[in-house]
Amino acid sequence: MKKFSFLLLTVLIIWSCTDNGPSGPDADDFDREAILVNWADNIIIPSYTNFSEATEQLHTDAATFSEFPTASNLLTLRTSWESAYLAFQTVSVFEIGKPMELRYRDNLNIYPTDTTEIENSIQSGSYNLQLPSLNNSQGFPALDYLLNGLGEDDAEILTFYTSDPDAENYRRYLTDLTSRIDSLTSEVLADWTSGYRDEFVSNSGNGSNSSLDMMVNDYIYYYEKHLRAGKIGIPAGVFSGSPLSTHVEAYYSNDFSKELFNTSLDATQNFFNGVHINQPSESGESLSSYLDYLNTMKDGSDLVTLINNQFDAAREQAALLDNDFSAQVESNNTAMLSTYDELQMNVVYMKVDMLQALNINVDYVDADGD
Amino acid sequence: MIRLKSFLTLFLISAILVSCDTNDGTKIEVPSSYEFTRNGETTVSFSGQTTRIQMGHELLPAMLDFDNSTKELLLQMYRNQTESGGDVDPFESAELNAATKNIKGKVAASVDYFSNNTAVSAVIKNQFETWISGQIEEVFPNRNTLAAEGQPGQIADGSSTRYVNGKGFEYNQLVGKSLIGALMTDQMLNNYVSVSVLDAGTNREDNNDGTLAESSNYTNMEHKWDEAYGYLFGTSANPANPLATLGDDDDFLNKYLARVDNDEDFAGIAQETFDAFALGRAAIVEGQYDVRDKQADIIRENISTVIAVRAVYYLQSGKNAIDQTTPDYGAAFHDLSEAYGFIYSLQFTRVPGSDSPYLTKTDVEGFLAELEEGNGLWDVTPETLDNMSAEIAAQFNFTVEEAAN
Repeated sequence: MKKFSFLLLTVLIIWSCTDNGPSGPDADDFDREAILVNWADNIIIPSYTNFSEATEQLHTDAATFSEFPTASNLLTLRTSWESAYLAFQTVSVFEIGKPMELRYRDNLNIYPTDTTEIENSIQSGSYNLQLPSLNNSQGFPALDYLLNGLGEDDAEILTFYTSDPDAENYRRYLTDLTSRIDSLTSEVLADWTSGYRDEFVSNSGNGSNSSLDMMVNDYIYYYEKHLRAGKIGIPAGVFSGSPLSTHVEAYYSNDFSKELFNTSLDATQNFFNGVHINQPSESGESLSSYLDYLNTMKDGSDLVTLINNQFDAAREQAALLDNDFSAQVESNNTAMLSTYDELQMNVVYMKVDMLQALNINVDYVDADGD
Repeated sequence: MIRLKSFLTLFLISAILVSCDTNDGTKIEVPSSYEFTRNGETTVSFSGQTTRIQMGHELLPAMLDFDNSTKELLLQMYRNQTESGGDVDPFESAELNAATKNIKGKVAASVDYFSNNTAVSAVIKNQFETWISGQIEEVFPNRNTLAAEGQPGQIADGSSTRYVNGKGFEYNQLVGKSLIGALMTDQMLNNYVSVSVLDAGTNREDNNDGTLAESSNYTNMEHKWDEAYGYLFGTSANPANPLATLGDDDDFLNKYLARVDNDEDFAGIAQETFDAFALGRAAIVEGQYDVRDKQADIIRENISTVIAVRAVYYLQSGKNAIDQTTPDYGAAFHDLSEAYGFIYSLQFTRVPGSDSPYLTKTDVEGFLAELEEGNGLWDVTPETLDNMSAEIAAQFNFTVEEAAN
């Protein structure tokens, strides 16, 4: 309460300050629908379309491998898993509408994956992947374990699908996972293309339930919890005190966590700038142009420039990291922590300065923890 | 703010009373730690309270141990004996198995509220057994089923999985949060800091004369006060200075006193409560019973407030989870299950200077019936939750907004 009134006071003071000069542009005068159209048509729907093609390929290759579990089919499947996992990084942020209802991200990417639960399900041959308690034994991290973590080398991994007493169950579990990723993705894409797009675009007001407010909240939540904390902060031990090398994304593949991180970082920066997913040289209305319209400054500097510079600083810092983050936190965790610190700077610029300029309230709080 | 003012008034009054009382000399300082000795040995003891909190800590996770728990085992953990009174060893801890204490015997068992009301006491004691049995009979067989209206099973709450009955309630939360009222709060506010218990029999005379309880280093009155203290700080890392680890020491009152204290609208309530315990205990040593009873009033107001604040807090969290385009039922059910337990606990609160709770058993039952109506939490409305929040807050010196944030 007190905090709120203090905030209100601060906001009022800031308002009265700007009122003294020539009246600046009002956040509410900007054409918010133009942003929503650009997001939906040039970023969100094409990203889901690309991803959906990748998940279809993933399932096809898993089915082929399941039928003919050869070394070469394993390599093919692994490649399509990597492509799909990278494409997932471009859609994971859009947890709005159907994905929110399906709890899409929790179904596709909870890590570390629960290998005991995976082995139990395979052994029993009976499982319902719709159960929330099985969220952490499916999706991309579970596939990582099945494709990279079962044995020391490919020959050993192959035995689980060929000569193991449960080989048939391993094959079936694998294709059940790829089938579920593919069908959930089809469901999300179909929702966007069969009505939700128009609903999303036309909900262009400025209340807390407007598309822009909700999407921006989802975007910052993703940046804070899944990019900054999930990919970097948690493995680096920011929240636990000591590094957790097993908590990196794609732990079993040993050389993939950095590429996933970079793809996610690029996707969040491109979204901020409204860059079209399939034509990176083109861009449309987005948060950056909205902030430009408002001439948003922070301590005398242009906020858009600050945010983009900060994205670049995080990328440069991350460039120094090992391709395998689990090796990185074990050999030199300071470099991971420095990356985290660069990412954290943009939480402040976006969650505080940007939201204040756009007159958007944060709609999530840290969980109570019980 | 208002609460602070009333505290200041109370403090002023008690200060005046202290000065009236201390015409004979001594003015008692608030001890900075809860340490009291006689002949070089401690006089503080509350092992029975520590034991019961620890038993609660084994019972709650056991309610979700699908692989090992049975109805018989859980009920034995609640009773620490068989149905017919035989000895049992349901706990992991050998110490708890050896203990003669149990949870059930002290549920709804205070002198002030239940000594003449054993029928209600029995109903409340049995209510916990009904919830425990429901967990085994309804939830356990459906643990691998998706929950739906009328269908017990599991539901996602963020990345956590919650296990609910057909109306969306988590029985483990009902048991855990209701014990805060029925066990800890009832024993503390309506038993151990009550004049009826502190001054029972020859306690006052014995305390004045320094007559010790049999084979003990404390007077009966000192011990009763310590037992009240034990229900809040009995599992503290350092019980003499418990605020350093407040919130980390149990999953019952200690935890939620910390939660409320961390809300800036209620900051200071933990220190105030500790000080009241310490000053009250010092007053007993000095034989200044008016000072003691003023501290009991502070304890009653503060502990009652903690329960009410958490009830409103969870009602509002649950409301926010439901009241959105895509309702988050899993998060809401978890919050509202906690709210249910805190509301249940309200009937054990105590208005200072009275013999009554802030909300009666009938009030509480009315609220709970509203939550349970029809399909329960599957169709409870934001309006119902708002009204309930307002009705609870109205009995206390805080607003819904202050409790909710």
